[in-house]
Amino acid sequence: MSEEERKFLEVKNLKKSFGSGDTKQDVLRGIDFTVAKGEFCVLLGPSGSGKSTLLNILGGIDSADEGDIYINGDRLSRMDEKGLTQYRRKHLGYVFQSYNLIPNLNVKENIETGAYLSDKPLDIDELLKILGLYEHRHKLPNQLSGGQQQRVSIGRAIVKNPDILLCDEPTGALDYTTSKEILRLIEEVNTKYGNTIIMVTHNEAIKLMADHVIKLRDGKIRHDDINTQKITADELEW
Amino acid sequence: MSETAVHFGKRPGNPLNRRVWKDLLSDWKRYLMIFIMLVVTIGFVSGMYVANNSMMTTLTDNVEKLHQESGHFELSKKADSNLIPALETGEKADVVSVFRERAYEEAEEKVTEAVNEAVEENVREQVRTVITEQATAAVEQQLAGYAEMGMAVSDEQRQSAIDEALDTAMAENYDKAVEEALKTAYESDDYKTALSDAMKEAKDEIDKEINEKYDDLAERYELNKDFTPVPVKIYELFYKEQTELISADASYSGKIRIFNDRTDIDMYDILEGRKPENEDEIIIDRMHADNVKLKVGDRIKAGNAEFTITGLAAFVDYSTLYEKNTDTMFDALTFNVAMVMEAGFERLSAPLHANYAFEYKNKPADVIEEKVLSDNFLKVLITQTAVTENETEIKDYVPAYANHAITFAPNDMGSDEAMGGVLLYIFVAVLAFIFAVTATAKLEKEASVIGTLRASGYTKGELVRYYMSGPLLVVIFASIVGNVLGYTLFKNVVTAMYYNSYSLPTYETLWTPDAFVRTTIVPIILMLVINFIVIIRMLRLSPLRFLRHDLKKTKRKKAVRLPKWKFFARFRMRVFLQNIPNYIMVFVGVCFVMLLLSMAVGMPETLKYYQNSMTDMMFAEEQVILLTTEDEYGNTIETSTEGAERFSMESLIRKSDTLDEEISIYGIVDGSNYIKIDTGADGVYISDAFAKKYSIAKGDTITLSAKYENKEYKWKVYDIYDYSASLAVFMPNDMFNTEFGRKNGEFSGFMSDAHIDDIDEKYIAKTITGEDMLKIAAQLDHSMGAYMVYFQYVCVIVAAIILYLLTKIIIEKNERAISMVKILGYSSREIASLYLVTTALVVFVTEFAAIFIGYKAMCVVWGVLLMKLGGYFAFVIPFSGFVKEFVLVFAAYMIITVIDFIRIRRIPKVLALKNVE
Repeated sequence: MSEEERKFLEVKNLKKSFGSGDTKQDVLRGIDFTVAKGEFCVLLGPSGSGKSTLLNILGGIDSADEGDIYINGDRLSRMDEKGLTQYRRKHLGYVFQSYNLIPNLNVKENIETGAYLSDKPLDIDELLKILGLYEHRHKLPNQLSGGQQQRVSIGRAIVKNPDILLCDEPTGALDYTTSKEILRLIEEVNTKYGNTIIMVTHNEAIKLMADHVIKLRDGKIRHDDINTQKITADELEW
Repeated sequence: MSETAVHFGKRPGNPLNRRVWKDLLSDWKRYLMIFIMLVVTIGFVSGMYVANNSMMTTLTDNVEKLHQESGHFELSKKADSNLIPALETGEKADVVSVFRERAYEEAEEKVTEAVNEAVEENVREQVRTVITEQATAAVEQQLAGYAEMGMAVSDEQRQSAIDEALDTAMAENYDKAVEEALKTAYESDDYKTALSDAMKEAKDEIDKEINEKYDDLAERYELNKDFTPVPVKIYELFYKEQTELISADASYSGKIRIFNDRTDIDMYDILEGRKPENEDEIIIDRMHADNVKLKVGDRIKAGNAEFTITGLAAFVDYSTLYEKNTDTMFDALTFNVAMVMEAGFERLSAPLHANYAFEYKNKPADVIEEKVLSDNFLKVLITQTAVTENETEIKDYVPAYANHAITFAPNDMGSDEAMGGVLLYIFVAVLAFIFAVTATAKLEKEASVIGTLRASGYTKGELVRYYMSGPLLVVIFASIVGNVLGYTLFKNVVTAMYYNSYSLPTYETLWTPDAFVRTTIVPIILMLVINFIVIIRMLRLSPLRFLRHDLKKTKRKKAVRLPKWKFFARFRMRVFLQNIPNYIMVFVGVCFVMLLLSMAVGMPETLKYYQNSMTDMMFAEEQVILLTTEDEYGNTIETSTEGAERFSMESLIRKSDTLDEEISIYGIVDGSNYIKIDTGADGVYISDAFAKKYSIAKGDTITLSAKYENKEYKWKVYDIYDYSASLAVFMPNDMFNTEFGRKNGEFSGFMSDAHIDDIDEKYIAKTITGEDMLKIAAQLDHSMGAYMVYFQYVCVIVAAIILYLLTKIIIEKNERAISMVKILGYSSREIASLYLVTTALVVFVTEFAAIFIGYKAMCVVWGVLLMKLGGYFAFVIPFSGFVKEFVLVFAAYMIITVIDFIRIRRIPKVLALKNVE
């Protein structure tokens, strides 16, 4: 792996606070880490540790007070709003805990909302099969289970074949079995399409399937470990 | 799986575009309502523009085609042979020179007579003296001879002899001597000098007098003002007026103005039938024919002459049937205009109206120029008739631009068009705001989706376009359908309305780009702008705020503390506080509807009130205006009708830029039973209607002008007289006679509550009764009455649609909360009482405010409307009218409440539990 690939994502001294004066709260207090291309990185931490804020800043939908982010050599902090929108459009995919699907578009059309953003999207039918949704492609979101809806939202994010897939607690609202299905899917996507995946979770067990585990607490990185003995999603237990 | 197995597909089209159609379909009820409202409004306004444009173009073309007059005037008698050519030169008569010449001529006669009288007296005296001296001398000589002869003659005998001799001499020589002496005297230079001196003195006197009066004459005839000659061509346009009777309908009686065959000016368009060909045939106005259900082939009587109708026509100078230009309103119900052939005209027994139409030789470019020409021609007319030798008076002068019979219809169409345009834009703005509120609610509802799409890289532009597409598509389709209906269905509705009021010619439908721009482009732009502003303001927020549903512009305030009310009351208050923007829209919408409803309810109510109370409003049941106050034997005309009393009347003009309004000036006798004024008042009384129309208060000074003279009258308003039937000024009769330069004790006619039937008709100029005053209300009622009832229904539908759209938003916003309280165990009835009662209360309170605002706004609109019309009657909505307005809108709301209740019942309980996003 080249140096460039090893530092595909580089975060330097990232700081972020909310409020001012007495109510000022430091959420991120100098974060530094790198993520390699194609790596499955998990951001772990309890509520309020700053992991979601970090993910939002990485995704260009929130801004840091200090510090820099480089993704594949591009400096995010230098980009204006339009630049960030284009950056997200071309390079990022987002998966949230709530699926945020468009209620009156069917499964396929919801995925097409992602495909439309890319000049070279993945083959949708093939993706639907990978997602296990091909049979449900004409259904509306309210006809699907939570797990199926989350699959659609992953499909929507991945269809444009983004460089980085950002996942914010994607299994947070799901039961054990469904969560494992989703994790299996993310793993499969990571393997098949080679996207860099950064996943925020408070589920300690998930770290076992990640290449790279970063633990946050009180806005600081407490552990930054490379997992050399990762297991498959199927093998996870919690 | 390996990376090599990855397959790429084609970039699909924007799925949001497909979603636009799905949005429209999934919310078809809302969009259908808006679509219908837009189609009807755009269609009607577009129809109005098309109809107006087509009709106006026809009317404008007809000015040339049908050779419309530049104006007309009526004289008290046929013009003499000199007057018409003099008027056609367009030159003012040199009033001062003519008056001077006439005075000189008169003076010459008188001076010569006076000088001759003096000379004759002098000559006669001289001749008498000479003859006396000669006769006395001869007698004295004879007596001296007698004395020499010794004959004594007494003094008596001497005097007797002298007298006898003188008598003989006078009888023999006086007349002859006088004649000879006069002849010599008249031929003498002294006589000529004396005559010339006397003439000079008399002329000096005349010049002095004219110079002294010059200022007065100059002012009256505007001699010193700028004047450019106005050459015109004058045409006879004589008419006779008779009572109109319909052979087949004995109950009808109206007035018909019959013109002699028109060949050169003010031609006509025959809409049905043909022109008359013999003395028994007549063509009449189409509008009037429709109103009284006359058709070609029917027979009518004009006075005693009966005619067969051969055609129904629209006369170019009578597009609106105004009997007199000063009438408050036209009257197509009891007034008719017609034309017969020369032989038919001879059959009419009524006196001839010496009416003349004129046409400017140099056509004015615009109305301003036309006014200058008309003012100048009036000076020509006044001065030329003033110097005419057969004492001709001007009875009427109406330039075309000020002729209501010509201008009222196009002006009304113009103002309808303006009003329609304003209503359309208000309507579109209200709908645009409803769209905007809907869009805001939708953006709030879809905040997570928007956040996700923005986070995925959708630009603000893409989302703005998407959220604007639905409303825009609806407006575009509505505009297209509306325009199509405008050119077909609604155009016919509007022209039918116009044909129901005016005597309009046949027209040709014209493509009207203006209609397209105003009813299509402008609403689309309006909708675009309002929606764009609302949507872009919201989409300016960061994706993160959408994801967090944090969409309030201001930082979230603390919950408003509520008093310790019961739970339900507090809940309702929370619902209210949460939906304030929507309730503001409810307020705006209801105010808009109430404004329309004020017109729809108020107009017929006002007419009804006016019709019902006119008799009470009249100060006397009858006013008889006399042509002369002396009969042919020189006796003052009197009436023995009980309670009848004399009064004086004059008509003056209140000038303004928009309208020269006729004001009646009454002179009231002391101790009048009909008008009770303080005869010692310092100033005049004005009628309540006059005061209200022009906002005149006690103590103000009013300025009125004579109609055909440049003379102004200024009076201080002493008090407002409670009289609403007409615009009038009241003053004591003595003051009236002084003001108008009349003799003491002079009067114009009689007023009486009992019918005056003992004055010969030939002395009566006109009789004013309540019926005459009611013509206005009857015509307005005929033109608008029926439409107003439909309009009330339209208002109710509009109110229902607006309330439907807004309450739908409120319920949708609260769907999850409603679902949640259902889960908690609240019954649908209880939930309805929480959500629907709040809205009902808001609608209830809003209605009160909106009725007040709508009424006040309508009063202003009414005032503006009447400024263009003669006369005044206050806009009146009785209490029952307000109740009707309230009930109509509330009834509309109650229907919507039922729909809302069904909506609430249909909200599933699982909604609150389901993560639909």
